[in-house]
Amino acid sequence: MADKYYLNAALKARAAKAVDRKTDGEIALDDISRVKVLSPGRQVFKRFIRNRLAVFGSMLLIFMFVFSFIGPLFYSYGQKQIFYKFDRQTVNYAMAKDNTAYNGYDIDPDAAVERTVNNAMNSRIKSMIADGDTLRFEMGKDNAYEIEKLRDDIYRVSIADLTPICTYGSSTVNIGTYSQVRKTIEFRGEEVEGLADAMTAAVKKNAGGGSFTYGGVTYSYKKGQAKTYAVSASFDGLRYIGEPMDESFEAALEAAAEKGESFVCDGAEYILVANGAAWDVYRRNAARPARVFSRLTVDTFESGAPVSNELRVNALLAAGGSGRFTADGQQWTVAEEDGFLIVRGADGAEYMELTPFSVRRYTGEDSMEYSLKKAVAEKVEEMIEAGAKSGSMACLLPMQGESGEYVYDENGVLQYQEAELVISQRETGEFVITAEQTIYVIDRFSAPSSRHILGTDGDGFDVLARIMYGGRVSLMVGFVVVFLEIFLGVIMGGLAGYYGGWVDMLIMRLVDIFYCLPSLPIMIILGAMMDALRMNTYVRLLIMMAALGIMGWAGVARLVRGQILSLREQEFMVATEATGIKVKGRIFHHLVPNVMPQLIVTATMGMGSVIITESTLSFLGLGVKHPLATWGTMINSVSSASAMAHYAYIWIPVGLLICLTVIAFNFVGDGLRDAYDPKAKR
Amino acid sequence: MLKYTLKRLLYSVLILFFVMFIIYILMYNMPMGYVETKARELASRPGATKSYAEWLADLNAQYGMDKGVVQGYFVWLSHAVRGEWGDSWAWTLPVTQEFHNTVWYSFILSLVSFIFEILIAIPLGITAAKKQYSFTDYFTTVISMVCISMPTFFLATLLKYVFSVKLGWFDLSGMQGRNYMNLSDFGKFLDVAKHFVLPSITIIIISIGGLMRYTRTNMLEVLNADYIRTARAKGVPEKKVINYHAFRNTLIPLVTTLGGSLPGLFSGALITESLFAIRGIGFASYASMTQADIPFIMFYLAFISILTLLGNLISDLLYGLVDPRVRLS
Repeated sequence: MADKYYLNAALKARAAKAVDRKTDGEIALDDISRVKVLSPGRQVFKRFIRNRLAVFGSMLLIFMFVFSFIGPLFYSYGQKQIFYKFDRQTVNYAMAKDNTAYNGYDIDPDAAVERTVNNAMNSRIKSMIADGDTLRFEMGKDNAYEIEKLRDDIYRVSIADLTPICTYGSSTVNIGTYSQVRKTIEFRGEEVEGLADAMTAAVKKNAGGGSFTYGGVTYSYKKGQAKTYAVSASFDGLRYIGEPMDESFEAALEAAAEKGESFVCDGAEYILVANGAAWDVYRRNAARPARVFSRLTVDTFESGAPVSNELRVNALLAAGGSGRFTADGQQWTVAEEDGFLIVRGADGAEYMELTPFSVRRYTGEDSMEYSLKKAVAEKVEEMIEAGAKSGSMACLLPMQGESGEYVYDENGVLQYQEAELVISQRETGEFVITAEQTIYVIDRFSAPSSRHILGTDGDGFDVLARIMYGGRVSLMVGFVVVFLEIFLGVIMGGLAGYYGGWVDMLIMRLVDIFYCLPSLPIMIILGAMMDALRMNTYVRLLIMMAALGIMGWAGVARLVRGQILSLREQEFMVATEATGIKVKGRIFHHLVPNVMPQLIVTATMGMGSVIITESTLSFLGLGVKHPLATWGTMINSVSSASAMAHYAYIWIPVGLLICLTVIAFNFVGDGLRDAYDPKAKR
Repeated sequence: MLKYTLKRLLYSVLILFFVMFIIYILMYNMPMGYVETKARELASRPGATKSYAEWLADLNAQYGMDKGVVQGYFVWLSHAVRGEWGDSWAWTLPVTQEFHNTVWYSFILSLVSFIFEILIAIPLGITAAKKQYSFTDYFTTVISMVCISMPTFFLATLLKYVFSVKLGWFDLSGMQGRNYMNLSDFGKFLDVAKHFVLPSITIIIISIGGLMRYTRTNMLEVLNADYIRTARAKGVPEKKVINYHAFRNTLIPLVTTLGGSLPGLFSGALITESLFAIRGIGFASYASMTQADIPFIMFYLAFISILTLLGNLISDLLYGLVDPRVRLS
C-alpha cells in the first residue's frame, strides 16, 4: 500500500466523472457528490467549534500565548528592568553643630604622641576647661607631655623635657622587700647600708608590722607573703634627687607648694606634679611641640578653597600667639574680628574662618552657599538663645529642574527658589536642617499611568512586563510538566497494559505508590530545601518541573493502561498480531494513537492544574524566585496585609490572568472531550 | 468481602511502606548540616538542658541519621510502629501532642465546609442536569469551572480584600478577636466561629465545582437510562421520576466519592489554614515544612498517606455496599 486511500477524494473523483457524463450538468437529488464525508479530524473540529465555551477557551489561550510569548518582543520594558523617578521628598539637607570634640592636628609629624595620651586628650582638655587650668602635665609611659592652652578652644600638646629636682612634702616610698629567712632586703633603688640589720631587730620586736627609725628616716614594714615584709620609707620635707639647690630655690618652692603652682627661680621654670601627698618638682626645659588640638573647624566661605594641614595648624597656633604666620610659602594673618577668627592672606583678603560652629550638607557630598550657611548659623544661634528645639526659616535654595539638576539661566547663573528649611535639634545636640528636594528614587508602587499601564511593583519593575514574562514561565512550566507526565505515563501505562502479568503488577503498584505520595507537601519541602541551599532560580525552576512531572505521571499511566486493556481485545489488535507487526510498532503505532484523544484531554486539563500548583508554590515563595517573574511571585510580593489593601491593581489582574488561563485550559479540555466522543461520560 | 478487605488492607500497608520510604529518602537528603544547625540552635536556646554534642548525637540516633538510608528507615519505622514519633523541632512538643492540639480545628473547618459543599453542590448539579442546555445549565457549568480554576491563594486573598479590608466584616487572619479573653464562653465560641467563616467559604468555593460537575454528569447519565424512559412512559409524574427514580441512582457514585473523602476531613487545608492563620494541622505542617521539622513532617506525611489509602479503601468498599450489581473480588 504505497498511497493512502482517501475516501472523500475518491468519491469526489467518481462524482466528477458522473457529472462529465451528463451533458446538461445537472446533479441528481441522490447524486453522491451532494454528500460530504468528513474525515474524523474534521468531524472533531466541527464538533469542537460548535461548543461556544470551548471556542471561548481557545480564544483565551491564543490570547495568552500571544500576550506572553510574542508580547514581550513588542513591549519595550524587560522583566528585570528597574525604573526610577524624580520625586520631591523631604530630605536631611544640612547639619549644623557646635563642634564639641577636640580634633588633633600634627605640628611635627616626627614628634609622636603616645596613643593612650592622644586618645585621652579630649577628656583632659575638658577637665582643664572645667578646672580653669592653662597648663597641665601628663605623664605618659615613655614621655611626659605638657598641654598648654594657647587661647580658647586651641590647645597645644608638646613633648616635655623635664629634669627631676626633688620631692617635697611627706611621702611614703616602697623601697624594697625584706626576707625573714635570708635576713636581707632586696632594694628597689638605692641601697641603704645596715638597714637589713635594723629591720631584723624590728621584726623580732614586732612580727606583725610596725615602724622604726634608722639613720634619721622613718621606715615602716608590713607583712607580706611567705615571711617577707614590704619595707617603706617615709620622707618628710625636701628630698633632692640630684644636686641640692640653693636656699632661694627652697624658699620659692615652699611658697609655691602651698598654692600648688609652678614657679620661676633663677630664670628657670619649675613645675610641681602631685604625687600622693607630696610634690614631685621638675625643672621645665624647652618642650617640643607635637600636636595642636582644637574644636575649631576651618570654613573657607564661598570659595571652597583647599586648606592644607600646614595652613590649618599654623593658623591655629598663630591664633593663640602673634597672629602672623607663614604657611605654604605665603604670609598670613589671623585675628579676631567681631567674635570670629578670620584668616587673611598677604593681600588682606579674607581667606577662611576658624569657627567651632559648622554648617554643612548632610551627606557631605555637596557644598553649601556661604550666605545660606550664615543664615542657618544665625537662625540656630537665635534658637539656642530662645531655648527652642525646632524652628523653620524661609530662604533661597538652588532651583532644581524636574530631573533634579540645578537650573541655570541663559547666562549660566544659578537660579534660586524660595524654600522652607525646617531646623530641629536632635537629642545629641546637633541641628538637622530638612528641606524638600527633588531626588532620584526607584519608582516603587507607582499607580497605573501612560508610562506604566499597570503601574510598577515594590521593586520598581513594570507590572505589565512582569505579567508577560511571568506568563511565559507559567505556561512553559505547564507544557514541560505535562509533557513529562505524558511521556512517563504513556511508557509505563503502555508497558503495563500491553504485557500484563507481573510487569503490570509491578508498574501498577508503583503507580499506587506515586498516587499516594502527597505532592503538595513534597513540593513545599523541596522548595524549603532549595531555599536552604540558596539555589539559583533557574535551577530551581528545572528541579520543580522535574519533580512535578515525576509526581504526576501515575494518573496518566493508569488511564493509558485502562485504555490499552480494552483496546487489546479488539479485532484490529488481533490483526496486527496476525500480520506480524513488531511489539514496538503495535504499542506505539496502533495502541497509543487510539489512546491519543484521552491523552490530549488529560494533557489540556493537566496544564490548568500544573499552572495552579506552580503559582501556589511561587506564591508561597518556594517556587521560582525573585528576579524571575511568575504570576505566583507577583501576587506574593504584595500579599502582606497593607500591600494587599493598597496595591490591588497589581495582584488582582495577575490573579485574574491565572484564573482565566486555567479556565481556558479546562474549557478547551472539556470541549475536546465532547468533540472526540460525544457520548463519553465526563 | 472480608477477604477482599483484608487483601486491600495488606496492599495499603505495602504501599504505605514504600511511600514512607520515598519520603524518608527525601528527608534523609535534607541539606547537609541541617541536623548540626538544629542541634546548635536547640543547645543555645534559653533553658537548654543538653549541650550541642549531646543534641547532635541525640538527633542523629533518634532519626537514624548516623546509619545508612535503608537502616535508618527501619530505625524510624520501628519507632513509628510503636507510636514513638519523637519531639517536634519547630513546636518543641511531642509530635502527637502538637497533632492533638491542631487536628480538631482542621476537622471542624473541613466538616463545616464539607456539609455546606454537599448542601450547595448536589442540588445545583441536579438542577443543571434536569434542564440540560438551558441557561441554568450553562451558568452552573461556567460557575463550577470558575471554582475549579480558582487558585486557593488568590481566592483567599480576594475574600480577605473584599470582606476584611473593604467591608471590614471579618479579621484578616487568626482564630481569635482582640478581646477574646474578655468574652463569655458562648461569646468565645461565636468569636472563633466568626474567624472560621472566610476560610470555610474559601474551601467551599474551591471544592464545590468538582462535586457540582460530578453530580451533573452522573445525573445526566441516569436520566438517559432506560428505566427513566420507562418510568416516564408509564406516566409517572416528572417530580417523582427525578426525586425518586433518578436521584436514588445518582446517589450511588456520589455516596462512594463522598465516603471516600471522609478521611480527608482530618488532613487539614494546608494553604487556606496558612493564609488565614487557623492553627490547624495544615498550618502546623506548613510551618514545620518550611523549618525542616523532620519528626513532625514525617508524622504528618505518614498521616495523610494513611488517610489517602483509607479514603480509597472506603470508597471501593462503599461501592460494593451501595450498588448490589457490583461484586468485589
